[in-house]
Amino acid sequence: MAWVNAIVQGLLTGGLYALFACGLSLLFGVMKVVNLAHGDLATVAGYIGVGIIAVTRVPVLWSIPIVVVLMAVLGYVLQRSLIQAAITRGELTTLIVTFGLSIIIENGLQQFFTANSRGLGVGDSFITSSFSIGSQVVIAWFNLAIFVLAVVVLLALQQFMTRSRYGRLIRAVADDREAAQLSGADYRHVFGIAAAIAFGTVAIAGICDGMITTISPTIGTDTILLFAFASVVIGGLGSLWGTLLGGVVLGVAQAIGAQINPAWEQLAGYLVFLLVLVIRPQGLTSRGAAA
Amino acid sequence: MTSPLLELDRVTKRFGRVVIAEDLSFSVGAGETVGIVGPNGAGKTSLFGLISGDLAPNAGQVSFAGRTVTRLDSAARCRLGIGRTYQVPRPFVDMTVFENVLVAAQQGGRLGRKASYPAAAAALERTGIAGEANVPAGRLGLLARKRLEIARALATGPQLLLLDEVAGGLTDPEVTVLVEIVRAVNAEGVAVIWIEHVVRALTSLVTRMTCLYGGEFIGDGTPGEVLADPRVREVYLGSDIDASTIQQVIKEEGAP
Repeated sequence: MAWVNAIVQGLLTGGLYALFACGLSLLFGVMKVVNLAHGDLATVAGYIGVGIIAVTRVPVLWSIPIVVVLMAVLGYVLQRSLIQAAITRGELTTLIVTFGLSIIIENGLQQFFTANSRGLGVGDSFITSSFSIGSQVVIAWFNLAIFVLAVVVLLALQQFMTRSRYGRLIRAVADDREAAQLSGADYRHVFGIAAAIAFGTVAIAGICDGMITTISPTIGTDTILLFAFASVVIGGLGSLWGTLLGGVVLGVAQAIGAQINPAWEQLAGYLVFLLVLVIRPQGLTSRGAAA
Repeated sequence: MTSPLLELDRVTKRFGRVVIAEDLSFSVGAGETVGIVGPNGAGKTSLFGLISGDLAPNAGQVSFAGRTVTRLDSAARCRLGIGRTYQVPRPFVDMTVFENVLVAAQQGGRLGRKASYPAAAAALERTGIAGEANVPAGRLGLLARKRLEIARALATGPQLLLLDEVAGGLTDPEVTVLVEIVRAVNAEGVAVIWIEHVVRALTSLVTRMTCLYGGEFIGDGTPGEVLADPRVREVYLGSDIDASTIQQVIKEEGAP
């Protein structure tokens, strides 16, 4: 039963990883930008949450929509200014610019919030309460809620991409930017919207992460970015549901590794990641949902 | 005198040593049909790039409908009324035919949700692919792709349609179908500039023709005049215009 528990925990963690990963996948799919600051954006969102809760005393769950909106606006603005300027100078420039952004964010956070780790909603009962199935499988309600949230976010994104005016526009620009422009599409605006969505989703992930564990200024690149990359690669680049599958596979692999030996948690995750790269480099879902 | 719909004023464009346009001036009136011929590599497609906004000229001005558009990008020019097709059709392959055209109607045509659906449907009707509206564009054959390419340009509500070798790779009956589509579009007042190697297709539609070579236009007149021009025949030597084609065109023009 301990193994079943490990697998269940890993599966639930996969939801959080999918939330980390879907924005990364979307940005790459639409504008071919590998956002090396993606993980740090989750951390920034977490700290904004910490700040908002400290100042306004809103309940921790209420901070989520506020931070998501703030991050989405930041995403649009950053895309239209800094990242767009980098895109026009070539793919390598976007790597360097987002890497620089990552360094600036991490050092900025250390400056303002110190290197100490912090949690959101520490001690709130809804975060710690759980239920058990049988004697050994213990499921935290909040972990289950995050998994459900991830599925809801992905479903909403999928519906948005297939049915809405802007979703269609994003798909058109992702497919052929020049042809989309000749159809009258202002691709910079479309990129901005895609970035707003990516920043919004990673903001949800950042706050959730701050609630389940703690956040510190450098976890953005230390863990979040790496887990997001691994999830995207395992699931298949450019596929929304692939990020969930990739996140779940990564989460389960880590949980099983930790069950064998607590020191093997990360190792097991990356072994599976490498295995997928060798056997199926296009990812498990080579072609899935639009994005 | 009213100003022309499209005006290129002393436009120069070079890629390194390759000259696309050298001090080129050219104008097209509303509702006019102009054919552009020229040998491969003469820069015909690049000329369209200069008009549609994909390329920025090194010097000179481009005006459209009384506005200087030299500094506008292709999306902005599309919204002003310049529609363009690509030589090799570039549909959004993962989207349905209808979605392809819908994006064009909503973006280029600046139509709201309610108006864009009938507009997209009308563009499909005009080009004869309404029957394939729900087919993913990636699954279309060449003729259907070319129809879609025109439908997408039409959905943006153009005043000027730039056609880049739409007849290339098609059979004669297929070319005839396309020519009739373009003729119907022109009859509604849309000006057409058509680059084409298939001279037969051009001469059956356009009233004016010119030849692009070495960054400048050689000859500008009726198709018969231009094809009979010794300079045009010289740069076109060895390509698909032969004496009999020219005779044919001249004869047709002379006919009542």
